[in-house]
Amino acid sequence: MAAKRLVYGLYNDEEILLEAVKSANEKHIDIYDVYTPFPIHGLDPLLGLSESRLHIAGFIYGMLGTLTAFLGMTWIFTKDWPIIFGGKPYWAVPSFIPITFELTVLFASIGMVVTFYIINGLGPGVVNTYLDDRITDDKFCIAFDSNSMSDADAEAFFRRTGASEVHDKEL
Amino acid sequence: MDHSTHTHTLAPPVKQFNFTSGLRITLIVGMVIGVLCLALAWFGDTDGHQTRFWSNFLHNSVFFTGIAMLAGFFMCASITAWAGWYTTFKRIWEAMGLFLVVGFVLMLIVGLGVYLGWHDLYHWNDAKSVAGDEILQGKSGFLNKGWYLFGTIIFVGLWYFILSRIRSLSLLEEKEGSHSDFRIHEKIRVWAVAYLPLAGFSSAAMVWLWIMSVDAHWYSTLFAWYTGASWFVSMMCLTMLVILFLKGRGYYSNVTDEHIHDVGKLIFAFSIFWTYLWFSQYMLIWYANVGEETGYFKHRLDNYPVLFYGNLVINFLLPFFVLMRNSTKRKAGIVGFVAIMVFIGHWLDFFLMIKPGVLHTSHAISGGGHGHGDSHGHGDHAGDHGHEAVGHAVEHASNFVSGFTLPGFLEIGTMIGFLCLFLFFFFSALSRASLQSENDPYYFESVQHHV
Repeated sequence: MAAKRLVYGLYNDEEILLEAVKSANEKHIDIYDVYTPFPIHGLDPLLGLSESRLHIAGFIYGMLGTLTAFLGMTWIFTKDWPIIFGGKPYWAVPSFIPITFELTVLFASIGMVVTFYIINGLGPGVVNTYLDDRITDDKFCIAFDSNSMSDADAEAFFRRTGASEVHDKEL
Repeated sequence: MDHSTHTHTLAPPVKQFNFTSGLRITLIVGMVIGVLCLALAWFGDTDGHQTRFWSNFLHNSVFFTGIAMLAGFFMCASITAWAGWYTTFKRIWEAMGLFLVVGFVLMLIVGLGVYLGWHDLYHWNDAKSVAGDEILQGKSGFLNKGWYLFGTIIFVGLWYFILSRIRSLSLLEEKEGSHSDFRIHEKIRVWAVAYLPLAGFSSAAMVWLWIMSVDAHWYSTLFAWYTGASWFVSMMCLTMLVILFLKGRGYYSNVTDEHIHDVGKLIFAFSIFWTYLWFSQYMLIWYANVGEETGYFKHRLDNYPVLFYGNLVINFLLPFFVLMRNSTKRKAGIVGFVAIMVFIGHWLDFFLMIKPGVLHTSHAISGGGHGHGDSHGHGDHAGDHGHEAVGHAVEHASNFVSGFTLPGFLEIGTMIGFLCLFLFFFFSALSRASLQSENDPYYFESVQHHV
């Protein structure tokens, strides 16, 4: 991946950051990305991010779990190895429900975690580069791509919107 | 999707609810329908016990009293948990809780009926049946008419007392408090904390008396939870519908999609909780296969299959699949439709809890061609009740009884009557105070609520 040079400003508070993002939207300034230590209410619509589709994937994984459990037990207890438990019929649906429920939850949760990791390039052994250590702690960051915005303009924007620090970095 | 949740440029929300004469008349017409249906059930009586009248009366009284009790319960739980999101519409739950004064009267009528022998809703209240029945004798320490009447008076009275204290403190807060002043809120919290264990435990005992003892031989240890969950979902559906109705009339402009979303989530979540309890009760009884327990389900599966399975479809599959997505919980049309369906569904659930047992009791007390009652003791062996239910199953399978195996017009009319009574009292309580609670310390948190 070609190196990308980012100019970024650090803010001390999420309210100041939200105002800065609104200001950038009004002036049609193209924001490369925003980094915050925790999710901020109302930031997604301002950045024009669409709703995550992760939960749709989660639903599909869940249904897969439901079918795996229910059809699996049906096959095992009626075809493969029929055993009578407690005088119940082979195909004892009520007793399948708890395990079906468990596998639904298991498939949905593990499937969503794995999908989330893959989409975001996370995972064991992956080294991620990030702009600044403190954006995982107490700083709120707006970054501009220096190809689409000059350093002087970025600097002026950050000063005007109340950023506490301005830096740049090649990623 | 830019919502206006953070902007305060809207016109200030209307404070005074106007209980218009049109709305009053509509609700009064509904109540008249209810009274007519009760009267028709009374005079159309065919079994000499007024069974249909009393079971309809009990069914609806219990249903709406429980909704009022749980509106207060959830409000108190939210107060205790320092929750703030509901504050903009907390008057709705306060006003619902005040219906307990009517619920008190309704349940008092049922209780007096038990005490004075006006009706034969409860098998354990029939001296002749108890005399020949060891099981009922064993339960008579709890299932007796004195405890029924006075337990009802004491506990429903206490529920109402605490909720009316909270209401008046809340109105005092509106008059004298400020959003940074927690003094009155602390007092409200004390009452809320007292209400939780009191209503939580005593409502379980009331459920055993009011509903579970309709099937006097049968018991289930999680029945009170199950009924409570049913009440809870009904209460949330009614809350949703009332919010949508009031918003449609221009009130509660500060109750936004965000609040509706959260009420929708509670309907969704507690529908699943209800299903969990339904299934836990069913599966354990099915698996253990003990005669005195399975009779309950055997009877319902054989004679009430439409309601039995319809119950699960309306109260689980519908809210589960429709309300699963975020977006559907924010659309008034969809969430309103689900709320109506699930509200009716839980009313049917109570129908299914009460009617089969009442019908059984009425047959048992009438004696006659069932070969039980006086002719042999119930307590001789454990499987007896199971045989009895099977006997009934055979008898009723070819015998459709409108009003018992399925709700007839009289049941639906009675339900409309009680609903209108509930809403009439609710709206008049709502109109007696400001709809807004701006001096509640959590008001601003609620206005800015964002999910």
